[in-house]
Amino acid sequence: MNPRTRHALEFALDNLVWFMLVFVLVVFSIFIPNYFQLGIFANIVEASSVLGVMSIGLALVIITGHMDLSVESVAALSAMAVGILFCSAGIGLGVQLQPEWLMVPVSLLLALVVGGIIGSINGYLVVKVKMSAFIITLASYIWVRGLVLVISGGRSAQDLAPAIRWFGIQRLLGLPLTAWIAISCFVVFSLIMAKTPFGRHLVMIGGNETATFRAGIRVNRNLVVAFVLAGAIAGLAGWLLAIRTSGATANLGVGLLFNAFAAVVIGGVSLKGGVGTLPGVYAGVLLLSAINTAINLMGLPANFTQVIHGLLVLAAVLLDAFKQTIRQRLA
Amino acid sequence: MSEPLLVLDNVAKNYGAIDALKGISFSIGKGEVVALLGDNGAGKSTLVKIIAGGLEPTSGRMLFEGKEFLAKSPAEAKAAGIETVYQDLSLCTNVDVVANFFMGREITKKFLGVPVLDEPAMEQVVEKALASAGTRIPSLRTNVEHLSGGQRQAIELNRFVHFGGKLVLLDEPFAALGVEQTRRGLDMIRQVASQGIGVVIITHIMQQAFQVADRIVVIRQGVVAGDVARNKTSPDAVINMITGETLAGAGPAG
Repeated sequence: MNPRTRHALEFALDNLVWFMLVFVLVVFSIFIPNYFQLGIFANIVEASSVLGVMSIGLALVIITGHMDLSVESVAALSAMAVGILFCSAGIGLGVQLQPEWLMVPVSLLLALVVGGIIGSINGYLVVKVKMSAFIITLASYIWVRGLVLVISGGRSAQDLAPAIRWFGIQRLLGLPLTAWIAISCFVVFSLIMAKTPFGRHLVMIGGNETATFRAGIRVNRNLVVAFVLAGAIAGLAGWLLAIRTSGATANLGVGLLFNAFAAVVIGGVSLKGGVGTLPGVYAGVLLLSAINTAINLMGLPANFTQVIHGLLVLAAVLLDAFKQTIRQRLA
Repeated sequence: MSEPLLVLDNVAKNYGAIDALKGISFSIGKGEVVALLGDNGAGKSTLVKIIAGGLEPTSGRMLFEGKEFLAKSPAEAKAAGIETVYQDLSLCTNVDVVANFFMGREITKKFLGVPVLDEPAMEQVVEKALASAGTRIPSLRTNVEHLSGGQRQAIELNRFVHFGGKLVLLDEPFAALGVEQTRRGLDMIRQVASQGIGVVIITHIMQQAFQVADRIVVIRQGVVAGDVARNKTSPDAVINMITGETLAGAGPAG
């Protein structure tokens, strides 16, 4: 095989999910009436912002070879914290700050800190107590959701302060600001992963933790930072979720974890760690969103989405195994 | 022998009731190559891990450049100037050659105050280091998983030659290398030692030890069973020390 075909093939394998996304969009545009519209595409991006942000944090931790099942509950807790403070109806306390815009940074900071705290608990237990991240974050997934129920009493908060909601209403180039926040998160974290020593270290830890430890990389510190980031990013996802629903309910975001998982795996991140990029994850998120939109447009019952997502995850894992064999041939 | 670089004083390590090292004492001079020999399970790798900061000794002390020294982590040992090449390769196969070469000490430039990887600079350094050592790797941007065992080992060897430090520990560094590459590796060791760097090399192959070492230290059942200058001994005598037929040098056995 000459180097050029090999190069092309490797490029195709590395960006497979983007080709899939384009393929799916083209097919849907041809066969589904009304799919090919700017508004629909904008909607795909818009609908994927919460899931997208959450997937970033999940992907970070999975790339280091660990796991964070708690992101969904963390997002719900952050959303509930914001909802209780800044909503004016339901269980909302309707806290008012002067000037009004001050509520934006305060609520955002609150969401990030809540997420960061849960993330640091997860990270501490994984690194210091050396328990399996799967079990620890499964526990967090349960108790954090429980905490949401406890502080809300099972009730909901409505009517988020207009100053905060502005982010969900104000549009720039056809997309609400919340979608731009998600996109900029992807850009920033993609750059961090690809261009900084920190990102490089996370990938290497996922590849061979012993080697990185021997090389003098502070593995534990990096891992804790990854978990705190995952938590804080989940907090940001919660903040976006609160804006989107203009409040928070006790069962807010239930099921998002599995979609985030699907997006991460479809995006080419290996559950073994050390493999995967964030642009790929974003493509995975958009792919799921594109399919959801298609299901809606075709008038299929929404329950089909779950079946299709499940099959997609299976397909992604199979594809991953297939890619591995091709790569071995290439080597 | 020149002035001692590292002195081990009765270093012991036990796992519960099992004594891996019963008390090891010897020293390494600047620019000296010490071959560490011993049968399987004699405690050679344990000793290397203790010096390199991967394990903490149960008792005993070490002096590095005349000062009390105990590395609590590989990072500390590295900061003190101790480089290690481990028996089981310490490479991340999921990233490329350049990333592995610079693992943990990447060259960066500041961009808006954020450290950003300086890939061209790193690639240049690796290219130079590998070329001067005569190692051929098709592309520095291929992931290490696609490279052969010999190529992988070459990366590790070139890494310590490049970064140098003060003391280099090599745990069976030539296990995956061919004849020509091994010869070149031994040359590299002499070259590194001539710069005043101390070298400890663990090997199973007597011939290699006699080719490269100034001094031969034999460990048997967790104690030093022999510590002799290369030119004052013979392979047969060393084999006897390893198997325990004669007990030369320091340390009571058991």
